[in-house]
Amino acid sequence: MISDLFSLTVLLGIISSGIRLATPYLFASIGEAFSQRSGVLNLGVEGQMILGAFTAFYVVMNTENLLLGVLAAMGVGALMGLAMGFVSITLQAQQGISGIGFYLFGLGMSNLLFQLLVGTVETVSGFPKVPLPILSDIPVIGELFFDHNILVYLAFLIVPIASFVLNKTNLGLKIRSVGENPEAADSLGVSVSKVRYFTTIFGGAMSGLSGASLSIALLNVFQLGMTAGQGFIAVALVYFGAWRPWGVLAGALLFSLVNGLQLWIQVLGINIPSEFAVMMPYILTIFVLTLSRSKYGAPSALTKPFEREG
Amino acid sequence: MKSRLNAILDALLPLFATLAALLVGAIMLIILDVNPLVAYGALLNGAFGSSNALAETLVKATPLLLVGLGICIAYRGNVINIGGEGQMIVGAIVATWFGLRYTNMPGWLMITLAMMLGALAGAVWGGIPGVLKAYFNVNEILSTVMMNAIAVQLLNFVLTGPMIDPIQSEKASQIPQTARLEEAYRLPRLVPTRLHLGALIAVGLAILVYFLLWRTTLGYRIRSVGQNKFASRYAGIKVERYIIIALMLSGALAGLAGVTQVYGVNFRMITDGSTSGFTGRAGYNGIVAALFGSLHPIITIPASILFGALLVGANTMQRVTQVPSALITALNGLVVVFVVSSEIWRKKRQQKRLTIAIEDQEFDEFSNEIPGHSVEEAS
Amino acid sequence: MKKTKIILIFALMLMLIFTACAQQTPVEEPDVEEPSSEEPVEEPEEIEKLSIAIVSPSSINDFAFTQSIYDAMLALQEEYGEDTIEFVYSENMFIVDDAAAAIRDYAASGYDLVIAHGSQYGSSLQEIAPDFPEVSFAWGTTVDTFGQDNIFAYEAASDEGGYVNGVMAAMLTESKVIGVVGPVETGDAKLYVDGFVEGVKATDPEIEVLVTYINNFSDVALAAETAETQIAAGADVMTGTAQMVVGAIGKIQENGGYWFGTQADQANFAPDTVVASQVYHWEVILKEIIELRSQGILGGRSFVANLANGGEVMAFNPEIEIPDDVKAAADQTIAEIKAGGVSESPEIEPLDIAIVSPSSINDFAFTQSIYDAMLALQDEYGEDTINFVYSENMFIVDDAAAAIRDYAASGYNMVIAHGSQYGSSLQEIAPDFPEVSFAWGTTVDTFGQDNIYAYEAASHEGGYVNGVMAAMLTESKVIGVVGPVETGDAKLYVDGFVAGVKATDPDIEVLVTYINNFSDVALAAETAETQIAAGADVMTGTAQMVVGAIGKIQENGGYWFGTQADQADFAPDTVVASQVYHWEVILKEMIGLRSEGTLGGQSFVANLANGGQVMAFNPNIDIPEEVMEAAQATIQGIIDGTITIELP
Repeated sequence: MISDLFSLTVLLGIISSGIRLATPYLFASIGEAFSQRSGVLNLGVEGQMILGAFTAFYVVMNTENLLLGVLAAMGVGALMGLAMGFVSITLQAQQGISGIGFYLFGLGMSNLLFQLLVGTVETVSGFPKVPLPILSDIPVIGELFFDHNILVYLAFLIVPIASFVLNKTNLGLKIRSVGENPEAADSLGVSVSKVRYFTTIFGGAMSGLSGASLSIALLNVFQLGMTAGQGFIAVALVYFGAWRPWGVLAGALLFSLVNGLQLWIQVLGINIPSEFAVMMPYILTIFVLTLSRSKYGAPSALTKPFEREG
Repeated sequence: MKSRLNAILDALLPLFATLAALLVGAIMLIILDVNPLVAYGALLNGAFGSSNALAETLVKATPLLLVGLGICIAYRGNVINIGGEGQMIVGAIVATWFGLRYTNMPGWLMITLAMMLGALAGAVWGGIPGVLKAYFNVNEILSTVMMNAIAVQLLNFVLTGPMIDPIQSEKASQIPQTARLEEAYRLPRLVPTRLHLGALIAVGLAILVYFLLWRTTLGYRIRSVGQNKFASRYAGIKVERYIIIALMLSGALAGLAGVTQVYGVNFRMITDGSTSGFTGRAGYNGIVAALFGSLHPIITIPASILFGALLVGANTMQRVTQVPSALITALNGLVVVFVVSSEIWRKKRQQKRLTIAIEDQEFDEFSNEIPGHSVEEAS
Repeated sequence: MKKTKIILIFALMLMLIFTACAQQTPVEEPDVEEPSSEEPVEEPEEIEKLSIAIVSPSSINDFAFTQSIYDAMLALQEEYGEDTIEFVYSENMFIVDDAAAAIRDYAASGYDLVIAHGSQYGSSLQEIAPDFPEVSFAWGTTVDTFGQDNIFAYEAASDEGGYVNGVMAAMLTESKVIGVVGPVETGDAKLYVDGFVEGVKATDPEIEVLVTYINNFSDVALAAETAETQIAAGADVMTGTAQMVVGAIGKIQENGGYWFGTQADQANFAPDTVVASQVYHWEVILKEIIELRSQGILGGRSFVANLANGGEVMAFNPEIEIPDDVKAAADQTIAEIKAGGVSESPEIEPLDIAIVSPSSINDFAFTQSIYDAMLALQDEYGEDTINFVYSENMFIVDDAAAAIRDYAASGYNMVIAHGSQYGSSLQEIAPDFPEVSFAWGTTVDTFGQDNIYAYEAASHEGGYVNGVMAAMLTESKVIGVVGPVETGDAKLYVDGFVAGVKATDPDIEVLVTYINNFSDVALAAETAETQIAAGADVMTGTAQMVVGAIGKIQENGGYWFGTQADQADFAPDTVVASQVYHWEVILKEMIGLRSEGTLGGQSFVANLANGGQVMAFNPNIDIPEEVMEAAQATIQGIIDGTITIELP
């Protein structure tokens, strides 16, 4: 039975599962990586995601305008990000804890609005699959990599863009310096709080987009509590990726591929308790990170509010 | 005298912030066509209105306090432990297994042993992220989040298989729960309410944790590692060891919280497939309680009671007003955000006071105890 | 010194917290308007002399509910003389707490009869009445006296007048469209509207009745706008209830249509439009109460104002020429109702039921099934009879236990603990409340306690039927199953399903995946993708997160079999059949037993035989005849016992 795991169908199945499952993590984790790089830990990603998922779903249900749905979800996420920014930058509140507050708020609000505005589980027609011309005709690989909906492409496209912005642009330099040494950045005339506000709002928008990718692209449905802890995994993946977009990509893919693998293990009837199968991605993620002995440290000013001297 | 008044104001800050959050909640209630006065009346009544309500509040506060004490230690050591949920579960599994496996022991002996074992299990579950952080540079937020997910699957596994109630395993419904602990093994209760001895133990531990942190070398080293890793290492402290110890102590207290939930409240373990079904989100809410208590073990006692009251009262409020329970969750979130945001007022006043204090060449001991505002950091 | 300081501060803090709370409490206490100061109260001198106080939720000239009791008092005064009947009122007591304070205050200041004219005042009354054994209380509209011998209860059978209005309206409409404007779908308003609709349908089932509840008692503009909308949709005859309908009456008047009134005679308001009104004459009932009181009976009886006893009267508007046949039909209907020929609602004692459940009432799965059952019960017995509240998302067993205890302590007759995890809590709580019935699902264990009912679903039966159909529909001979945690109801359903498949075709491969989670929609979807990639073309699954899986099998053009709720609406082209729970079948049995004095101690199974479980076939899908026949034969076989389901 174990040998079944190595057939082409299974391999392709695992990879395509991995790509789909990784999509929401990528959006949320990249956004979170930006805000952590600038020194703000946002544990409220889960709340932003689920509120974004509801917003996108509700807008699309009523207007059938997918772009509007995406923008609305990002807008709501950005608003939550702004609030998070205000609380953690201007009011200098404990970041881990305020994040938990925003998580509960988002979870409760999405649930409440769903009950008041929608009431029962419904589907919407979300983003269709867009096979890329030529590329999707390549046998095997074409279907695997180039036959997805547009948000899946976008999620993977964001990785190199984010990496470029962080490492090669002035903005990226500001973000990194604000997160590593805010005093120095401040003395060089960089507005620490402005940069941090930008990254938390951006992070919020990305979390909202992540939620939208679930509710109007991958699943086309909204159900109560549907993000089911993915926002927390997204935060964890930022640590896995050592605050680097490519690292985040590696973490998201690893976690998602193992998740796809455990589903196949159950489908193939390999005899291990389902609970242990479900544990696999969590265990392996820790395991791989332990083995890799990451030498990167966290941004020095992470979770530390900045206040000008005097 | 003035500084005492200030300290009282500081300590009451979370209360004011909670009231402010409830004010925002009132708007939501009005939108839902519910009279906020009725709602909040019910909330207060549900939390403090009778001896039974007060007992429920304290029962709710007990795991929050235990987890919160662990958070105080971890935060002082500059590690963030969001693995309380998993540590509670593992502690409870081991203690429950022990209580079901060995029958006919004297109650006090079993309870003591079960608590020790549960704390030990929690310590191991918390120690793993500690080792990973200290020696493999694996961030503890990542590992504790993952360890929570692993613990809940472990729970699902043992409750549907090895530890399932023998009565249930014969039935078609197969409710995923363990057998009940025998009567003698249950924590004594303050009849006729559900208030159990665990509450008192938690308060005792709060005092113990206070002494540990400020009156022992161990505590001093944990705090010193938390404040400055490099300076500590230079001073000859084995930094890695104290990171692990901080997380282990934190895990042990959470594990103990799990034990009291079984031995004091439910007398058995039961799962609904998620962490919160067993822990009641105490692993997260304990963090909130500790932060409400300024990460000070003693102040965490009233902070836990306040937060426990809020949780218990909010449920009563839902029952009385029949608002969707989602509103309660959202309100809960608002309270957390408001309280944590209110810290800045304390901080500002603290700095003002500090300036005066330095002029007087006299340090206010009490302000010294509050983290993040200690003299070293503020200067 | 340091230590003392800290302890002192700590003690002070605790004190402050508690005093703060203590100071909060009076906020609840309202500033009671002292009506006694406005209208001087004289100490009653003669025995016949009676001072009465009314507490009501809206204004005395609301043209509706409160006005009806006020008018009744005026009628009483007219009959007995103002010297004998003296009354004061507190109107607009929509805050129950305020009303409670007012009621207590009146009782304490020596009023003989305090009328709590609002169904929301019940629990306050229950608390207050025992403290004033000399005072009579009257509570409307309800029939529950709480078994207390100084509470009278009264209500109106407003469905009767509604029915008469409905019959007339059906005969008067030319467009065959009738509009109804209601406030909140509950209590007296719902009873009236339901009676009205029934009357219309009994007369002409073709007529379209547009019922709109605006969920508001005061928004006249919205009521008017609702009327405009219904008129635009073709309505030429309308009715409505509660004080805000005046807006609607104006609109139908402008459009030259007809209006039927209720609660008060609305003919004066629009003489050319209002055909007839159902009018309450509470004085009929109040007279009975007063008479009983003079005999020394202070309460303990309940009354219903209806057409037969004159507590309800149809007021026909003399300004309008009502066609003879319409008037004749109305009179005929009134006579029939008086004789007891039309209305037929089963007679049970009113029940207050509380539900405690682990997920949300619209979870599309487990909790929704019990919630829908309660709605079905209300539909059958009427909302006045079945009153229910719920605490949802009680996934924390501890909180659920607190909720169960609280409901039991606050006088609910029946508390339903709808989650197998609540068992041990129930076992502890139930003995403390021997008067309260508890129902625990899903299980068959009553703990041998005579106030616990147990209920569960034989979900393997529906699973088996689904399995048989799935086996016949799959072409790839691979079927996928997505489950949450391998236990309880989910496991039972899945095992039954697999048995059904295997009994039909043992060669079919069934892929069962438990994702160990109830909420992760994305993982459920991915599981479906995996099973589809492994060849599955027909699937099933259970719990609320399966909506993700349904979407995926739909995308791939396969079939889905549902359980717990009818999932056909969700994916009309994919869901072949759903096993649906009808807990109301079982709840009705419990309610029946309870009315006979049996509070528990029995367990029930919802199955195909007793209708507690029903197979809902999706009419949108062309199910091949032989599959349909096989399904029917399987259902029959399970019901008559010729099919036994082999569970692993």
